[in-house]
Amino acid sequence: MLVTQQKILRRFWYPIVPADRLSNALLPFTLLGTNIVLFRDATGGASALIDRCCHRTATLSKGWLEAGNIVCPYHGWTYAGDGHCVRIPQRPCYEPGKGIFVESFRCSERYGVVWVALEEPLRDIPELPEYDDPAYRRVFEFYEPWMAPGLRIMENSFDNAHFAFVHKASFGIVEEPEPVPPRLEPHPAGFVMYADVPVKNPDIQKANLGIASDRTIRHYEKTWWMPFSRKMKVTYPNGLVHIIMTLTAPIDDRRSQVIQFLLRSDSEADAPAAKLIEFDRQVTHEDMAILEACDFDVPLSLTGERHMPTDQPGLEMRRMLAKLFAEHGEAEVRRDGPVVVPTLASAAE
Amino acid sequence: MLATKQPVLRRFWYPAMPVAMVNAGPQPFTLLGERLVLWRDGDGRYAAMEDRCCHRSAALSKGWVAGKTIVCPYHGWSYDSAGTCVRIPQRPDSAGLKGSAVKSFFCEVRYGHVWVALEEPLAPIPDWPEETDSGYRRIDQFYEPWNCAGLRLMENSFDSAHINFVHRNTFGDINNPEPPPRTLEPFDYGFVSRADLPVLNNELQKKNLRDSGDTTVRHSISTWYMPFVRRLHIRYPSGLDHIIVTAATPVADGTCQVVQFCFRNDTEQQAKAADIIAFDRKVTEEDREVLEGTDFDVPLDMNSGIERHMPSDQPGLLMRRMMLDLFARHGETEQTRHVPRQIAAE
Repeated sequence: MLVTQQKILRRFWYPIVPADRLSNALLPFTLLGTNIVLFRDATGGASALIDRCCHRTATLSKGWLEAGNIVCPYHGWTYAGDGHCVRIPQRPCYEPGKGIFVESFRCSERYGVVWVALEEPLRDIPELPEYDDPAYRRVFEFYEPWMAPGLRIMENSFDNAHFAFVHKASFGIVEEPEPVPPRLEPHPAGFVMYADVPVKNPDIQKANLGIASDRTIRHYEKTWWMPFSRKMKVTYPNGLVHIIMTLTAPIDDRRSQVIQFLLRSDSEADAPAAKLIEFDRQVTHEDMAILEACDFDVPLSLTGERHMPTDQPGLEMRRMLAKLFAEHGEAEVRRDGPVVVPTLASAAE
Repeated sequence: MLATKQPVLRRFWYPAMPVAMVNAGPQPFTLLGERLVLWRDGDGRYAAMEDRCCHRSAALSKGWVAGKTIVCPYHGWSYDSAGTCVRIPQRPDSAGLKGSAVKSFFCEVRYGHVWVALEEPLAPIPDWPEETDSGYRRIDQFYEPWNCAGLRLMENSFDSAHINFVHRNTFGDINNPEPPPRTLEPFDYGFVSRADLPVLNNELQKKNLRDSGDTTVRHSISTWYMPFVRRLHIRYPSGLDHIIVTAATPVADGTCQVVQFCFRNDTEQQAKAADIIAFDRKVTEEDREVLEGTDFDVPLDMNSGIERHMPSDQPGLLMRRMMLDLFARHGETEQTRHVPRQIAAE
């Protein structure tokens, strides 16, 4: 699947940038191969426009902000947050609203993140009730591009079999490679997966979790937010809840921009944020090293790669994406072109 | 317009390289997607040929010059400046020479640069009398690739409206954005445009122009030589001439080689060449920053709805129309990857 070639993927909300990083500057971003520019308009709200002036195609993100409007660096044509041209300096008589504009995109702020949808979203930004629950503290972990497609990152998150290998230096038990089978349930955002997984409990985690034993159990409740984000809720035997939000936006066919933050049921005094980040960074770097070397063109059909039973969540993602494409009359597009599947009519014949 | 897909563009002269580089030995250069070797033979004759030996396709630009020939680095096949293979070292009896050749192109040296035309040129290399006028000096300024279409750079050169934004930190006045009027007089393969531009005069320019005023006026006569050469003759109130020749030689659809030199009627004692280059460097970097962010597929049809226009865009729009006319005369249509769309109803 080449994400930039699947039009229906333009109809989802994607997490673009932590909201506090969008301040007084213009932020260029590439979403599904489309160059956009983000900024805060006169009202302070986040705006996203196509990064291309409608006059001579200059890159708007190389311009500057003036009273919440974006000024093109070439001739100073000025656009408001809704994309309408409000000033043509060479034409003082110009009246805004004359049909001169650049494309604007839906932009929203939720969970401290600015989200963008390139076209009418199929569904809302998923619910995350713990975000506003005072029982949880928020810990920002990182914001960075990965050289891997969102689907590989998602599949990896729901794959109980990789812990023993990829994470053998952090929490995986390499001597026990047989994975715990996952249990999947439908969920409005995608699906939810349950599993109780025994893990190694290294020294840093003993302190972070307040659990002294060399092993512990992670009670997982993982939610897949179609297409490329996940919520991973871990409850430990002592009642501690550690929620990892991994939100990814597809830059192009092979790159993703990743935002990760935590919601924790304990306090800074119980476990310093810096130590939580330290351990999770180790784990994510272990994943990154493997995922960045995988083929970015993930096949949605069962052919093309070999499978085993614990691959089920990833295969379910592929199946649900393929179903979504089919419902919207799209074929999966791979490097070699569209995948030919029998249409309903020809299947009936 | 995708320059490499318009065959008639092969019928123009383009400055490809400073002559000093070619004097140092065979050099590769790509013109309109065509890989060339530029070289000078032992008699001082310059040649532009296909950079591909007719034997095993090796790059001749990696070879060397021997007498009147360029020698292929792979097996030593040797070609004269017409592209004819005159020696196959493995066959001293001259067998195999017949019919062995590489393509050779039109090649001339003018203004310190090697100029190339891939096919019979439609217009001559322009005559600029300052080259041989002892009252003028020529200063070679830039030779570098830019990631933009040559046409964008040409349009930019005749666009008075961009100065007060793009060059706001050098000579433009952002508080005075309305551009003055400009005249346009077309000729067969280009046009002449005149404008008097009020500009700011920064500290370096006060020195370069020997004018202590904070503002000055540029009396400019600009000439566009179709498709990608311009000459900008600026005369300052003091009588100083600063004549900039800029070529955006088309390498590929999204790349041009910028060649720039200037003529001045002052002396090195009056204004150092290094200072003159320094100011023009800053100005061209400002243009480059913006132009490299534009789409290289410039739409020639002004009614395509792909770009919006304003009155000061007229010179660029005339270029687009003249290019379309040129294509039509030669049985071509504009080649583009854009799908035209309707202008939104106003």
